[in-house]
Amino acid sequence: MDAYFVLKKQNEDINIDSNYASQSFWKEVRHRFFHKKSAVVGLIFIILIVFFAIVGPGMTEYDYSTQELTQKNFAPRVPGLENLGILDGTETLSTTTGSKEINQYEAGGHDDLYYWFGSDMYGRDLWTRCWSGARVSLIIAVAAALIDMIIGMSYGLISGFFGGAVDMVMQRLLEIWNGIPRLVIVTLLLLILRPGMITIIFALMLTEWVGMSRIARAEMLKLKEQEFVLASRTLGAGSFFIIFKEVLPNIIGPIITQVMFSIPTAIFTEAFLSFVGLGIPVPQCSLGSLISDGYDSFTTHPYQIIPPIIIMALLMLSFNLLGDGLREAFDPKMKEM
Amino acid sequence: MKKYILKRVLTSILTLLAIVLVLFILMHLMPGSPFNDEKLSDDQRTVLYAKYGLDQPIVIQFGRYVVNMLRGDFGVSYNISKNTPISQLIQSRLPISINIGFFAVALGAIVGLILGLIAALKRDTVLDTICTIISVIGVSVPSYVFALALSYNLGFKWKVFPMLYNTADALNSSIMPSVALSMFTMATIARFTRSEMIEVLGSEYMLFAESKGLTSSQIIIKHALRNALIPIITVLAPLVVDLMTGSLVVEKIFAIPGVGSLLVNAIQSNDYNVVIALSFIYSALYIFVMLVVDILYGIIDPRIRLGKEGD
Amino acid sequence: MKKKLLALVLAATMVAGLAGCGNSSADTASTGSASTASTSTDLNVMIETAVESLDPQQATDGTSFEVIADYTDGLMQMDSDGNPINALAESYELSDDGLTYTFKIRDDANWSNGEPVTAQDFVFAWQRAVDPEVASEYSYMLSDIGQIVNAAEIIAGEKDKSELGVTAVDDKTLEVQLNVPVSYFLSLMYFPTFYPVNEAFFNECGDTFATSPETVLANGAFVLDSYEPAATAFHLTKNEDYYDAASVSLSGLSYQVIQDSQTALMSYQTGDLDITLVNGDQVDQVEDDPEFQSIGAGYLWYVTPNIKEVPELTNLNIRLALTMAINRESVTADVLKDGSLPTYTAIPRDFSADFSADQELFKDYCRDDAAAAAEYWQAGLDELGITELTLELVADEDDAPAKVATVLKEEWETTLPGLTVNITTEPKKQRVSDLQEGNYELGLTRWGPDYDDPMTYLGMWYTDNPNNYGFWSNAEYDAILDECTTGDLCTEIDARRDRLYDAEQIVMEEAVIFPIYTAANAQMVSSNVSGIDFHPVALNRVYKNTTKN
Repeated sequence: MDAYFVLKKQNEDINIDSNYASQSFWKEVRHRFFHKKSAVVGLIFIILIVFFAIVGPGMTEYDYSTQELTQKNFAPRVPGLENLGILDGTETLSTTTGSKEINQYEAGGHDDLYYWFGSDMYGRDLWTRCWSGARVSLIIAVAAALIDMIIGMSYGLISGFFGGAVDMVMQRLLEIWNGIPRLVIVTLLLLILRPGMITIIFALMLTEWVGMSRIARAEMLKLKEQEFVLASRTLGAGSFFIIFKEVLPNIIGPIITQVMFSIPTAIFTEAFLSFVGLGIPVPQCSLGSLISDGYDSFTTHPYQIIPPIIIMALLMLSFNLLGDGLREAFDPKMKEM
Repeated sequence: MKKYILKRVLTSILTLLAIVLVLFILMHLMPGSPFNDEKLSDDQRTVLYAKYGLDQPIVIQFGRYVVNMLRGDFGVSYNISKNTPISQLIQSRLPISINIGFFAVALGAIVGLILGLIAALKRDTVLDTICTIISVIGVSVPSYVFALALSYNLGFKWKVFPMLYNTADALNSSIMPSVALSMFTMATIARFTRSEMIEVLGSEYMLFAESKGLTSSQIIIKHALRNALIPIITVLAPLVVDLMTGSLVVEKIFAIPGVGSLLVNAIQSNDYNVVIALSFIYSALYIFVMLVVDILYGIIDPRIRLGKEGD
Repeated sequence: MKKKLLALVLAATMVAGLAGCGNSSADTASTGSASTASTSTDLNVMIETAVESLDPQQATDGTSFEVIADYTDGLMQMDSDGNPINALAESYELSDDGLTYTFKIRDDANWSNGEPVTAQDFVFAWQRAVDPEVASEYSYMLSDIGQIVNAAEIIAGEKDKSELGVTAVDDKTLEVQLNVPVSYFLSLMYFPTFYPVNEAFFNECGDTFATSPETVLANGAFVLDSYEPAATAFHLTKNEDYYDAASVSLSGLSYQVIQDSQTALMSYQTGDLDITLVNGDQVDQVEDDPEFQSIGAGYLWYVTPNIKEVPELTNLNIRLALTMAINRESVTADVLKDGSLPTYTAIPRDFSADFSADQELFKDYCRDDAAAAAEYWQAGLDELGITELTLELVADEDDAPAKVATVLKEEWETTLPGLTVNITTEPKKQRVSDLQEGNYELGLTRWGPDYDDPMTYLGMWYTDNPNNYGFWSNAEYDAILDECTTGDLCTEIDARRDRLYDAEQIVMEEAVIFPIYTAANAQMVSSNVSGIDFHPVALNRVYKNTTKN
């Protein structure tokens, strides 16, 4: 009898038919996703911004840090458009004694000079800085979101799978962590660790994984009593095999959706950090630090804050639209969180 | 039920203690001390450490702090307002921040609800997209930029509202900060309402209500909205505390004598006691709100209690 | 049904919340604390930071000093040129050996509770200032600077505070004993650490001293009438019982803390403020305005190289290259734009009329000279046998220092080949801590003068002075300073001045610090306001003689 029924205990052999079901599932997801126009628009904008974040800084002769103090605070001037009377380097300065119109390009005799988004208070090209900033913000946000996905997911899955005392302890710990105001933690951490790209990613990651772990745990609770998990267990699969090989692929939808929502949160938190002086070290820049720089001259040279704000708003909007689209695509009946 | 509430209250207290510990450790890991000033000598620093007990091992400091805290003594400020008891410092400031926060939440919830409702009822139309865009812009523009834009246009150019907070005219001067703060709440509520409403509208008993011949406005108000409202409080609770994010910077812009601006100053000047006390208050507020929501939920829907605790 | 209940509870909470707002705003309105609504001759003043302490012996920041001085007079006050003139002192005598001052206090000087200001009030306050238990940050004003007998010993805990060399001969006569003659002693008397405190009142208040209008006593031009700790708005009214009330024309002072510079300027434009600071970014908006002005703030901003810990910075040529590579004109004119002055000497220009020859004498030591800088740089690199160098510059995260650091990095890197500078910005307390512990390479820091003598700067580079962040040490320099503070030269005005020039020259030759600029405050002062006295030392703004139409 024993010869006929042996517990295999070998994960490769248990993992037989992983592909069949998933293929048609992904096809359907793709179909639903592309059917939703707003999600596609979001995706296009993200691709565009990523494209510019990669090539944008190289499109001008300037780099993000070189200062030209004789050409500071130049208003935007774009070849072609300048003939139409817009973006021709003229700005209206509202002073305390009335408003006056100035054109730094003409005043300084810089006829062949073009700052597409204008220049900042050190005479650095804002076009270059905006796209380098977008690059930095995207790297920080995506890295933070991916890392917190891994941490949050593992935490939630383990907690949900084992249940009982393990779950109890892990959930209490999570509650404690979640009870501390995030912003205070991030701020204190950055003061201790000193701001830099790595430390900012680390600080953002530490505070954003909670939401992810909740979703993973909820999904796990839903799935762990289902037949395929039971089957796997009967065949003698180890806990970690079940968690990561059996359950994980089935909850990847909600997880990806959550990542799409945590990217904008990370971008936003980074912007706040820049505002309180804990952003990326100068002369590097991020969208947040550009907004915070532009904020200081909001009433003087408003054109300096507009490009980073628009890029950031578009990015946030796009990730949200994309997230919505993905959620509906993965599970048309699923509710938020 | 009593047992459940008791259990939740106990874990909340434990949580708060743990939070104080974490904050305490973080504060003491901070480089520098409250007394790193250009003109303060080493000897004087030593004297000051001794005076405030900062020369003791951290365990003793922590023990002392907790004992004092239980007596309602949060210590004194070291430098943003020298030797002033924290309780006195917070006393007049907390109500101001809470008022503005409440305004913001109420405003955000109401507007968000309306936007979400419209989006859900006109699902997948232009109106839906517009509502979505409005609500996403709410979370896309940092509240400090929004606040300054408001201040510049409504305060400076059109002079509709005062630019500076004025305790004598608290109502008027709270409007702009509240609006600036409410954007985030509004956006979140709008998104949540939309998805809740879509689900409720699609459920069977809505079809049943329709078949009974109720008018559509009756259905929406009496059935759909009411059912959608309940899950919404769960998001509202954490949002109350998310307001803090905004208040830290918005208070600076409108010169509001609240706790947010105090916290920023305290963090930057290593004023340990102020940072710990304020963070603690925020945490307590958060945990309290969560507790209330959980208990309310438990009363109404025993399934949630069971699901959460697993017993 | 239960759901309905919940909805009701929710609605009720919301309504209660709103009602709560209404109620509490009505409450605050009725108490009317810190109202900005003011009568026409109240001066509306913007300050950037809240008052840290109103206790004259605990206060350390400019804002606190300004407010304390609004309602308290010392023995002396400053005239509009910054010279000491009699205030609470009716007259004073200096003994022939220059070691004993005897002040006679005015008979008509009274505290706002009706008690007369007595010599005992000064004795009590000064003893507090040196009391180790009080740990006053400015205690050194009495010891190292003021040279009052036994002050140093009391601070060190070696003697009791009652042994301080200050005695009340009678109610109105105060006698001060000094270790050595101190030429600038009278100018210390307007520094708030030396202001009197009424002992009986202090003991009555206990821990709450100087935390509310009820717990402070005024003897000056104004009386505090609304205030709470860290208040963002507070008010003072004219003190009708002030001995010089006739010359005070303002009806009061209304302070408003505004941390955001744009909000401040907008409020000024709408008329809510009479005086406000403006940020360098806003200068474009206001530079044509006749109400725009720039007032020296006295702070010297400089870069300190860590000479002891960083081997490359021990090399003099490297230090000279770094200091010469800075384009100070550009820093002040293009970046700060607030009227700050480029500074090439260790003692800033306009600091003292008596001590201004250094501007001409030492102007070349750190001139803006890219070519010379490159030569020194090459020489330095050769001596060290390296071709590349990476240095870290630490600066405060505040607006101006962060901007200056950004420009310094760029100027250094363009002028000096092979140099990479990384900037770290951090909160001031951390930055000061790093400098004090020698945990830095290059540090951007500042120094505000405390009294009207070059020693207020030169004292910093004395061996082991806590503000000698570079840990530089030079025996000759120390000897000169000893000679000028406690040695033979302390009464010989001319000879002393010449020796101090020698000392400054050593600092310049050795590039102990890289001076950059002397800070100024760009500000707007309403055209109907006149007579605000601005000083770079001790009290930045004095409103006693201010008029507003």
